[in-house]
Amino acid sequence: MNWSLFFDLTVSGLTLGSLYALIALGYSLVYGILKLLNFAHGDVYMIGAFLGWYALHALGGPMNPTFTGAVVLLLMFVVAMLGCGVLGVAIERFAYRPLRNAPRIAPLISALGVSIFLQNSALLIFGASFRDYNTFDLIGVKTYNIGSLFFSVPQLLTVAAAIALMVALTLFVARSRLGKAMRSTSFDREAASMMGIDVDRVISVTFFIGSALAGAAGVMFALVFGQIYHFMGFIAGLKGFTAAVIGGIGSIPGAMIGGLIVGLAESYATGYLPQGSTFQNLYVFALLILVILIRPSGLFGRAAITKV
Amino acid sequence: MEERPDTPRIGVDEWVASVEGKRERYTGWRGAVLERWERLPVAARVLVFALPAAVFPVLSSQGNVFRYGLFTLVYALLALGLNIVVGFAGLLDLGYIAFFGCGAYMYAILASPQFGYHWQAEAAIPVVIIVTALIGLLVGLPSRRLFGDYLAILTLFFGQAFVIFVNNANRISFPFVGHTDLTGGSNGIANIDPFNFFGFKIDTTMKQYYLLLISVALVLVLLAFVNESRTGRAWRALREDPLAAEVMSIPVNRLKLSAFVFGAAVAGFTGAIYGTIATAALPGDYDVGLLITIYAIMILGGFGSIMGIVVGAIIVSSVPELLRSSANARPLFYGAILLAILVKIRPWPRLAAQLAGLTAFGFAVHAIAAAAYPRLVHGESIGSGGFTRFLDHWMLFPKDAVKIADVAYILMIAAIVMYPQLGRLWRAVLLPPLLYLVMFVWENLLLVHIGGATRLILLGAMLVALMNIRPQGLFGTATVEIV
Amino acid sequence: MRSRRATVVAALLALGAALAVVAGAYATPNRAAAPAAQAGSDAAQVKCGKTRTIGLMAPVTGPAASLGKQQVDWAQYYLSTYNKTHKTKIKFQTEDTQLGAPTGTAEALKGAQALAGGPNVLGVVGPAGSNEIVGITKTLKDAGLAWVSGSSTRTSLTTDGTRTGYMFRSVPPDAIQGPTAANYIIKKLKYKRAYIIDDQETYSTGLADVVEQTLKAAGVTVQRDGVSQQQSDFSSLIAKIPRDTQIVYIPWQLPPKGQAFGNQMKAAGKGSIKLMGADGLFDSSFASVGSHVYDTNFPLNPKSKVIAGFKKGHGGDGEYFGAPTYAATQVVATAIDKACSNGTASRAEVRAAIRATKIPAARSLLGLAIRFNRNGDLATAHKFGLYKSNGNVFVPIPG
Repeated sequence: MNWSLFFDLTVSGLTLGSLYALIALGYSLVYGILKLLNFAHGDVYMIGAFLGWYALHALGGPMNPTFTGAVVLLLMFVVAMLGCGVLGVAIERFAYRPLRNAPRIAPLISALGVSIFLQNSALLIFGASFRDYNTFDLIGVKTYNIGSLFFSVPQLLTVAAAIALMVALTLFVARSRLGKAMRSTSFDREAASMMGIDVDRVISVTFFIGSALAGAAGVMFALVFGQIYHFMGFIAGLKGFTAAVIGGIGSIPGAMIGGLIVGLAESYATGYLPQGSTFQNLYVFALLILVILIRPSGLFGRAAITKV
Repeated sequence: MEERPDTPRIGVDEWVASVEGKRERYTGWRGAVLERWERLPVAARVLVFALPAAVFPVLSSQGNVFRYGLFTLVYALLALGLNIVVGFAGLLDLGYIAFFGCGAYMYAILASPQFGYHWQAEAAIPVVIIVTALIGLLVGLPSRRLFGDYLAILTLFFGQAFVIFVNNANRISFPFVGHTDLTGGSNGIANIDPFNFFGFKIDTTMKQYYLLLISVALVLVLLAFVNESRTGRAWRALREDPLAAEVMSIPVNRLKLSAFVFGAAVAGFTGAIYGTIATAALPGDYDVGLLITIYAIMILGGFGSIMGIVVGAIIVSSVPELLRSSANARPLFYGAILLAILVKIRPWPRLAAQLAGLTAFGFAVHAIAAAAYPRLVHGESIGSGGFTRFLDHWMLFPKDAVKIADVAYILMIAAIVMYPQLGRLWRAVLLPPLLYLVMFVWENLLLVHIGGATRLILLGAMLVALMNIRPQGLFGTATVEIV
Repeated sequence: MRSRRATVVAALLALGAALAVVAGAYATPNRAAAPAAQAGSDAAQVKCGKTRTIGLMAPVTGPAASLGKQQVDWAQYYLSTYNKTHKTKIKFQTEDTQLGAPTGTAEALKGAQALAGGPNVLGVVGPAGSNEIVGITKTLKDAGLAWVSGSSTRTSLTTDGTRTGYMFRSVPPDAIQGPTAANYIIKKLKYKRAYIIDDQETYSTGLADVVEQTLKAAGVTVQRDGVSQQQSDFSSLIAKIPRDTQIVYIPWQLPPKGQAFGNQMKAAGKGSIKLMGADGLFDSSFASVGSHVYDTNFPLNPKSKVIAGFKKGHGGDGEYFGAPTYAATQVVATAIDKACSNGTASRAEVRAAIRATKIPAARSLLGLAIRFNRNGDLATAHKFGLYKSNGNVFVPIPG
């Protein structure tokens, strides 16, 4: 057993997995409440990465930041999360709310429209070139190692921030009044509204949280992998969606575990399987099929009781 | 089908019997037109589309026939096939485009220099259709157990696997055969022969167009029959409620498989035609993007409505093409804005007041800017003609527009999002500035990028707007959801 | 039942009517309408006038938009200098091909058709991708249009004979670039362990194949892998690269991806392994990875005033990937001028003029004279330039 390869693959899988998990959470939260696949989610993530870039450059750029690295980073996250949150609420208000009682497939097309719109607006405003975060200058290129376990600061940061955000979300949903309202709305929207829950507000909050998480994921992605461009949301969206389904769409812990599974599976497939990186997506999808054939509602999903 | 709804029917549930009455109906002239339309026989409805379509190439240039005609018909044919699986039988098939690709590659293998086979079309097409139908059967097999979103994921996997397979099949060693370059890998298969029916070659755009038109007409008529047949009714029963259908002893599994097979056959046939149009089978052409386009057509037109699909195909394939040049784009854009105002603002005195307000606002802004910041009126509008000259005196054209226009674009989106939240009075007062802002962004930013991002931005916005206006699709019927 | 029979009858009627119209359309002399519509067909003479139109096909949107931008920028740069120095003017009819978009080559096909039908279009610059060229060949050929591509390098495009006299390119093909890179690794660097990663696109796999074969023939141990162009995370792939590998060859198209790969190699503690790219990665962003980066690039004269002028107008960024598109535009514009010497020109004349192109080395930014051989390849280019990074930009390796 080549332990160094195994460690490398694990670190990379965990990093990627925590990004997928954050994206998957957005899918899952929205699906849980509206039974809607928000195809524009990947593009919100892309916008988040760009907002982070603008924040970074408004604060003096990576070479001579106005504040210390840590403060700049924090501000980048705040800007991206707030911006994406507001964007998410606006998308819901405009593209999905009018369709709430339409056939289930109508919002899908609306979502598709939003996705095309956001992607090309980004192209129009941000331009076609890749933007570089140059975070190595901001937080150092240094690679640490414990024995043969290599990792870099952005990787560590990503995993830590993702875990922190997920813990915060779990606590919010489990403990707060609004979280309770979210859960009940997800359980039965009509009943919740009859109990005096302002369903519209709950849905707005859900979109805000989901989109803010995507924004954070966008910034983290750029921190780890350096570059951002207008087309980056497409693949990330697909992967996040896959993660959400593997974990059981609609379930919060499911989305987290699903994200990690997809990230690790991708990484191990690349490292160990023949033609690994070429057929990477096939291997991940094969895993997905395996999971839904064995547990049709995903790992953590509740088996839906069909009312007849 | 001519029974009067007021006579009670035996054995019919009251809710089902009154289902006609539960449909959303238009009143006034729209209702009258729709009613007439619905009373026309199927063939007459087909004719309404077929006749202009048949005359179109005579009146237009070859380039237009290719860009508008061929692609509209290819999309329509694909959407009709998909409609069997999704619209009729209600099986969410996300691997559909792979069948399209299978058709193109199968035909390419049978009729191109790749293996040196040059089959006649009358022999190749049946083989292509049968092989894709068989693949459809294989992919459909798991549908016996899975349904809903999970079937969708499984078929999506098939679609992805297909693309990756054809992209790498030149490096794979096959059992029994050994190493052959089956698909050309990422280079694809080039120089596909045109269809050759007993020596009659379908090798020009015109001939391809009419072949497609006849195919669409045939499939339309076929679908109209199937829709009314036992199988068609059973499919719809399956779509509405698989469990109930099974209880009523409808052979659910066989029906699911037959829907897959029919859909795949249509897609395979279309793929072969598309292969001859593109003269090449390339791996990137059969990916998720096209699938999304076809779904958009089907849903835009109205779920399960055959006519709607044709209209949807026309819209989705020709609007981006129309927008390729600024000469077309400008009238379309202002026309759309005008139409929206006409429909939304009534009675007409208010409309007139708004338009006058807009004109005055523009002149005022232009005058102030010219006096205070001459930089803002330094540029010029694109194009020539009376309207452009008017714009030069009315609209702001900053000298170095890029930065200002970018900011204005973001402002515009924010303004449009906020606008519906305002009170009535504010909405009336703020409409002229908002419209002016939209036009400013259009003239200074969107029109400049008309060949690139703008087309797609407008397509995206159009999809959202259309779904907002008619969630059930253009020709779909709004039904009462059973909770 | 009644409605059903009516449907049958009506359906047959409809079909009959459709067929009748088809027959009618063919019976009426189709050609009568054709010349007016197909103004730009092969031998038709077009008045040149003061402004001449060149078709420009490039990926303006889609995943390869960053490359398309460079090509459009360079083409525009030629246009602006030309229009400043000539009495006659040129303008572009730009068609977006969305190279690499999920909808595939359909957009390129439609764009080509729009150019074919454009009455004033006399020649075409682009398109960028080799698969796009395979797709649009019939359309442009039928319309009599010649095209000069500044970036499609698949060898067989010119050698298979289907496009002779129509397709030209201002970059040398893979058959020249591949051996240049491989021979350098074998003879100069004398490396024994190489790792090749293609990006799953046709440009990349073609080049990787050539290099892999040449290296293996010389006894070098080669491992081959592929990674999607869409991907930005290479960490797991990097983990797989053995630490004793001497050089990683990445013939990719997007320089920022090459940069990301290089940086992630460093982050994984494998920064000492040499990297080598191809002309697709010839950009300062890839060079900035460090001084252990090699690259091969199409012929380019670094001292050319044109390049200096372009850089000045673009914030110092060379956008070299687009430079051959400048040469391609130069070829087409010169040919149109030549064909227009008598006031009118046809597409056939422009084709012939492109074929007979003779631009001396002094006036070409490629650093060598632009002449085409029978296939449409540059007759003067026999090897690619070899470069090594100095940490910021690529500098030529002497010899």
